[in-house]
Amino acid sequence: MKIEDRLSLLNYKTDKSFAHITVDQNICETCPDHFCTYACPAKCYTLIEDKLNFKYEDCVECGTCVVACSHGSVSWNNVKGAHGVKYKYG
Amino acid sequence: MSEFDVIVVGAGPAGSSAAIRLASKKMNVLLVEKSDPPGTKNVSGGVLWGHELDGVIPDWEKTAPVERYVKAKTVGFLTEESSINIDFRSRKFDENRSGYTVLRVKLDQWLAKKAVESGAMLVNGVTVDRLAMKDGKVVGVEQDGDTITADTVILSEGANPRVAIQSGIREPLKDHDVAIGVKEVIKLPEEKINERFNLRGKEGFAGEYVLGFLKGGVEAGGFLYTNKESLSLGAVISMKHLRANGNTRSFDIIEEFNSHPSIAPLIEGGKIDEYSAHMVQEGGYSSIPKLFGDGYMITGDAAGFSFSNGLVLQGMNYAIQSGITAADTFIDLKEKGNFSNSAMSLYQEKLQKTFVMQDMTNFKGIENVTWGNLTHQHLPGILENVMLEIFMENGMPKRHMYKILMDAMKKQNVSSSRMISESFKMIRRL
Ligand SMILES: Cc1cc2nc3c(=O)[nH]c(=O)nc-3n(C[C@H](O)[C@H](O)[C@H](O)COP(=O)(O)OP(=O)(O)OC[C@H]3O[C@@H](n4cnc5c(N)ncnc54)[C@H](O)[C@@H]3O)c2cc1C
Ligand code: SF4
Ligand code: SF4
Repeated sequence: MKIEDRLSLLNYKTDKSFAHITVDQNICETCPDHFCTYACPAKCYTLIEDKLNFKYEDCVECGTCVVACSHGSVSWNNVKGAHGVKYKYG
Repeated sequence: MSEFDVIVVGAGPAGSSAAIRLASKKMNVLLVEKSDPPGTKNVSGGVLWGHELDGVIPDWEKTAPVERYVKAKTVGFLTEESSINIDFRSRKFDENRSGYTVLRVKLDQWLAKKAVESGAMLVNGVTVDRLAMKDGKVVGVEQDGDTITADTVILSEGANPRVAIQSGIREPLKDHDVAIGVKEVIKLPEEKINERFNLRGKEGFAGEYVLGFLKGGVEAGGFLYTNKESLSLGAVISMKHLRANGNTRSFDIIEEFNSHPSIAPLIEGGKIDEYSAHMVQEGGYSSIPKLFGDGYMITGDAAGFSFSNGLVLQGMNYAIQSGITAADTFIDLKEKGNFSNSAMSLYQEKLQKTFVMQDMTNFKGIENVTWGNLTHQHLPGILENVMLEIFMENGMPKRHMYKILMDAMKKQNVSSSRMISESFKMIRRL
């Protein structure tokens, strides 16, 4: 099953006013590895025409990217107000 | 005066166990959980090993929402074409049930409910931002600009301990400390599960696999567990090795595992009903931070208490025990009303007497052996070659086992001295 189809199985309560994870595009611009695009299990990090594209809406809050990015670009916060992913099994 | 005796951050197995223990000893406890309801952000394989819950819910084996008990345990080595499995079933294993498959949304909700029934106050859907500090001491937690005070804060926030890191009491995590866990829950009728895994009634199967077919030095362990009417399948991927490879995506690995020729028939006809991912703590002893300080203790995954090395994956039992031990520490300190750093060192002392710190100490460094190319690449290949030569009839005269093994090792470029020295290291640590 493609990752996009996997993600479409999930329920989210998206926080439209707060992105719990942000990246610093200035750092990403000169990134030599883009390891986030390999590590993130929800494909939130993709390269579009060599530019890093990050979408927090699909994030399952696994915590991987804050360790995976070794260049200090990722700032990671917990979601607030019970927003974010909501599993039925876990 | 503080508003609470204890604030527990996080209602996972660690936090809820701590809260139950404290509340049942009449302590005034606030349990804060960011998800609503509790458990809906948590992921495990998962098998709950051991009997630590006895300490807080004596009848849990009869009342907890567990799926099946582990009747059959398999450790497997998978190469591209083959699988070599060790299947273990024993009447002894049946008599002393030591593992139950669980789904965390159900389990965590139930544990949090038990905490409330014991007298704890639970708020869910509330995220703690950081610890509230005064004169270098932890005096409570901050949430959206408000401070709630307590004599002690027990941090049970799981594998990505933002509160501890942001409050400066824990170093940010590094590659060595973690692995990436990916999982799917596959719906399958109960009869099909029983038939395919040779089970009856509440009997369950737990399989862990070395994914020796992965290319380019990527190391990962796979798991496959039976629930009542579904299978939990997933992989735990070493961050360090995924980075070194630099060309494999974490979410593709679960796909490679579930389509392996020895796994695909087991899940055939099943429908993937959920995909999930979560970081796994797995650095062992060297990942454990300072566990206590003025007004706080750290438990469970947030403290690095997990035993995961690509072959074994345990964390819930350590979480539960460390939560209970933190609660007991507080109860002891409460009498004197001293929650200073030096008084709090009692937590470490008590933990040292439990299997939590004993395992962490005894198995110090095991991750360096079990996460390594001998286990993850060469061993599966060697076993495959040996088995093929023994079992495939090709009209050639039979050779001695020793000769077969030596040739198989040569094919994998593993010298016998390395095999001996690594096996020795492994045996010494196990
Ligand atoms: C794929 C996978 C498979 C695994 N398989 C197994 C297995 O088979 N057996 C096993 O024993 N272990 C397994 N583990 C490990 C196990 O899941 C963990 O060790 C265990 O969940 C740790 O429990 P905990 O209570 O410390 O943390 P968690 O269970 O992570 O609980 C932490 C809780 O704190 C909450 N929280 C976090 N931050 C805040 C905040 N700031 N404010 C409020 N609430 C907060 C979270 O929402 C969560 O509910 C597996 C892990 C993964 C990822
Ligand atoms: S987030 Fe980190 S790893 Fe990803 S592109 Fe930016 S700098 Fe590179
Ligand atoms: S937390 Fe996990 S799912 Fe979310 S963006 Fe980071 S790596 Fe991806």
